[in-house]
Amino acid sequence: MNERKVAVFLFAVALLVPVPRVLAAQLVSKIEAGQYTVSDGALPFSAIRLAPTVQFELPHATLRARGSALISEQNLQLADGIVTGTFTSPTVYGVRAEMIGNASRAIDDRSLGTDQVDVQTRVHVLFHEHGGVWLGGGVARPWRVAVASQASVTDAGAWAKLGDALAKFGTATMTATFTNFSFTKIASVNDTGSASLSCASPVAPAANIAVRALFTETPGTGACERQSRFNDLEGSIRWELGALELTAATGYRFGDSYDVTPDSKRWTSGTATIWLNDRIALVGGGGRQPALPLRGIPARSYGMAGIELAYWPINKGGVPVSLPRATLVKGFEMHALPTGMHKLIIHVGGVETVDVMGDFSDWSPLTLVRRGRDLWELSVPLSYGMHQINVRVDGGPWMAPPGTPTMHDSFNGDVGLIVVAPPDKSAH
Amino acid sequence: MTCVSRGASRRPSLSLLWGAVALVLSGALPAVAQDPDPLSKLDPSSKFAVELLIDSANTLGLPSDYLRSTALQGIALKVDGKRIVVECRKKFNLLKTAHAILGSVGGEELKAGASVLYAGAKPNQLAPFKARQQNRNDLEAFTIWADLITRGVPSEEASSAITKLWQDGADDATFYGLWNNVQSDILKGLNPGAAFQNRIRETPGRPTANKVTPPEGQENQSSR
Repeated sequence: MNERKVAVFLFAVALLVPVPRVLAAQLVSKIEAGQYTVSDGALPFSAIRLAPTVQFELPHATLRARGSALISEQNLQLADGIVTGTFTSPTVYGVRAEMIGNASRAIDDRSLGTDQVDVQTRVHVLFHEHGGVWLGGGVARPWRVAVASQASVTDAGAWAKLGDALAKFGTATMTATFTNFSFTKIASVNDTGSASLSCASPVAPAANIAVRALFTETPGTGACERQSRFNDLEGSIRWELGALELTAATGYRFGDSYDVTPDSKRWTSGTATIWLNDRIALVGGGGRQPALPLRGIPARSYGMAGIELAYWPINKGGVPVSLPRATLVKGFEMHALPTGMHKLIIHVGGVETVDVMGDFSDWSPLTLVRRGRDLWELSVPLSYGMHQINVRVDGGPWMAPPGTPTMHDSFNGDVGLIVVAPPDKSAH
Repeated sequence: MTCVSRGASRRPSLSLLWGAVALVLSGALPAVAQDPDPLSKLDPSSKFAVELLIDSANTLGLPSDYLRSTALQGIALKVDGKRIVVECRKKFNLLKTAHAILGSVGGEELKAGASVLYAGAKPNQLAPFKARQQNRNDLEAFTIWADLITRGVPSEEASSAITKLWQDGADDATFYGLWNNVQSDILKGLNPGAAFQNRIRETPGRPTANKVTPPEGQENQSSR
């Protein structure tokens, strides 16, 4: 147990080490500390929760590691770690494929803990950056979860984004998801760490006459099993207005009555985040989270308050598909036109929109026009002088265009610098 | 009779048309006049503070658009108003410093000088740029200088080398070529200071006799 505490502590401390600016564009980290109250009695009434996250972003891939640990009375009660890799294809006519792989471990003080590996593929249809639908499917392989063996997961969903960063009422992102879990359920005393039982065992669920018919004795292993499935229907909304972020989710689980336990039938949760500056936020929330039987994590009710620290804030948009980064931009050119205008040319493929903004546009986004497979153009009036410019693709983060000198701007970002020569030298 | 009748029937239509035009114009003109000031997205106290700084810059003959641009960028990025005021005040002080050192240069040069100071150059390092040849601007030198400091090249080394190049009459293409080589080496994993020292040694102080076409630099730059 001490080793675990030390590991969590070191991980948290490691996140406090400032990240070199050169890496910052690809490395983000977050750590939360909060006071938790869990009402089901299975977990401590009061606990501190640490939830660090590290994320690396590449043009078509994201690697994220996040953890969560509930510590009470100097003991680690429940720890949950997950590493996620997401590979995203370029967008072709609004269609994007995504492959997601997860490897996770949950450590429960009351048992040995569980491991799970799952792989999922999704196909997204995007309606620019304002909405989309997706359909996905995959398999999950849990270990040390006595209650379930290999599972197949199918999901479908839709999302819509209203407003923008400059809108009076901010941005709201709504998501609806349907997920089907199909797996083999095995009779056991506990969900995790206990051996499977035979149907004849007096403590087996199948000993209950009402459910006995649902289970069958597997000839080879002698385990008491049944094919099981349930469905989750969940809706969420995320509203961002200035420094305030509100997130609410509600869900309903239905399926075989034996598998849908009363404590996981309906759930609702909400979180409010107020950013005091771009690195520190107050977080508060509560609600109920359903059990995750494949991972051996029980249902829990909670109320929490705490702070969130972000060294390099993770892009927290509620859009449920990873959007490509500006690092996809392959090239940037600027040409003086005889009319006194300047043509900006950006080379980037597999995206839906490309915007620029800078001092020349009073920092309002200007959308480029697609002129070819990976060619985007826009003519802007640029006067003599040094100008600042940023670019973004598909509504992602603003970044300095490649191939231009850059400097830090005033607001923790980088900005590209372009120089327009005096009129008599414009022939260069 | 028929014609009179037609004319009489058209008159009301014409009046209606003119009326509609007048209505549209009367509606459009105030709409143009009411085009909101982007700074109005700031909270009142922050807006007042930014406008005060802009007025002060105008009074001193400093390019106030530098401050306005900073405020608008902050608004676009949804930055807190107080933070925007702090940054505008910082930029205002840098403009004053650049003006005190560079003297009566154009607004663009002052803004570029302030940007170099913002990147991390020391005020006394700007002093050599006060003396300048006629029709020569230092924007390219300042741009590259600011970038090099941002990339981690030690400020003293970047400043002395850029100053030397500029005093030797290096043109924009030379500065851009130096930057291109250094950033390329840094991307390959070389230490910024070492990359800069390596490349500055092979950079000619003056433009070569057979002057090459400027690299696709500021007027035509490409990273492809």
